[in-house]
Amino acid sequence: MGLMTDTDRSDPLDATPDDPGAAVEHAEPTRWERAADLFGQWREGRTRAMDELVRLMSPVLWHVVRAYGLDRALAEDVVQTTWLTLVRRHETILDPKAVSGWLTTCARREAWRVGKLQRRADPTEVEHLEPHLPIQESAEDSAVDGDQTSRLWSAVATLDERCRRLLRVVAFEERPDYARLAQDLSMPIGSIGPTRQRCLAKVRAVLESAGGER
Amino acid sequence: MNENFDAAADAALFARLRSVWEERDPVPADLIDRMVAAVAVADLSREYALLTLVETADLAAVRGEHDTLTLQFSDGKTSVLLHVSETEAGARRIDGWVDGEALAVRLVQGEREWSADAGETGRFAFDSVPAGLSRLRLAVREDDGLREFETTQFEV
Repeated sequence: MGLMTDTDRSDPLDATPDDPGAAVEHAEPTRWERAADLFGQWREGRTRAMDELVRLMSPVLWHVVRAYGLDRALAEDVVQTTWLTLVRRHETILDPKAVSGWLTTCARREAWRVGKLQRRADPTEVEHLEPHLPIQESAEDSAVDGDQTSRLWSAVATLDERCRRLLRVVAFEERPDYARLAQDLSMPIGSIGPTRQRCLAKVRAVLESAGGER
Repeated sequence: MNENFDAAADAALFARLRSVWEERDPVPADLIDRMVAAVAVADLSREYALLTLVETADLAAVRGEHDTLTLQFSDGKTSVLLHVSETEAGARRIDGWVDGEALAVRLVQGEREWSADAGETGRFAFDSVPAGLSRLRLAVREDDGLREFETTQFEV
């Protein structure tokens, strides 16, 4: 999967290194393949393909942006900025196959920038309140999955911020940009993989001590 | 790079983590529609339905020193009403109303663009834009999806 754009490599938006650990299902086209296809169609003049691309990728962008601790309104702004940036700067993506990585990288970069401003302007840190918001689920779901989900959620809550962010980004991006992630988290790129494993191990340890589940 | 010896177990745990985040911090209702609309009014490769000027009223004489302009655009079905006034700093304030649920509204002056939020009431506002030739683009929710409109140029 050596998908690189051949634009200026100093721009992280244009770099999409392979993810050494992502779990990708091969039975049907992966999300990034569908994104690439839709982006290609849009460029060839099928304007509605952009609507489908937005529908496909917005949920991913949402979770990636929220990993940076932005409140929900700001997170929505960042997702929107990401899309407008794509429309404005799409010529810089020389290989349509890079569009998925370009979008998530752009979203993370913008989330990082906006997050710094938010922390400076708002010392009350809204994001710490939000995990306690009422859980949204239907009655049928909660009976079956509620217990497992609660335990996993509690396990996630015990993680430090760096672990939570890393796991959430990796969970939602199929091929995270480890170079940029390393930069955001002030970590050497080589330590992302081990850190990821350490964070997963922590989740497992908490789950096991909470009820024999792995 | 750390070799992943139990990739399947990790993938399974990541899948569960995904569903926890999806459940506990869900994508806001309507976010996707709002994003589609925001892109629709910014994407110039589209064909917009044209809203033409059907009525204009200059209320300067009535209101005195500050120029106040009312413009109405329509394609026969969807209408947009704009109320343009001058701010104290000499810029323009535009209050608008569209008879539909606008999910995105964008004002364009040459290379410059501003976006406004519009809700179910159809009201929107641009607090301060420079005087000049302008155009409005809107994405309005209709029964069978989204429809994009663009007004003819007007001077504010």
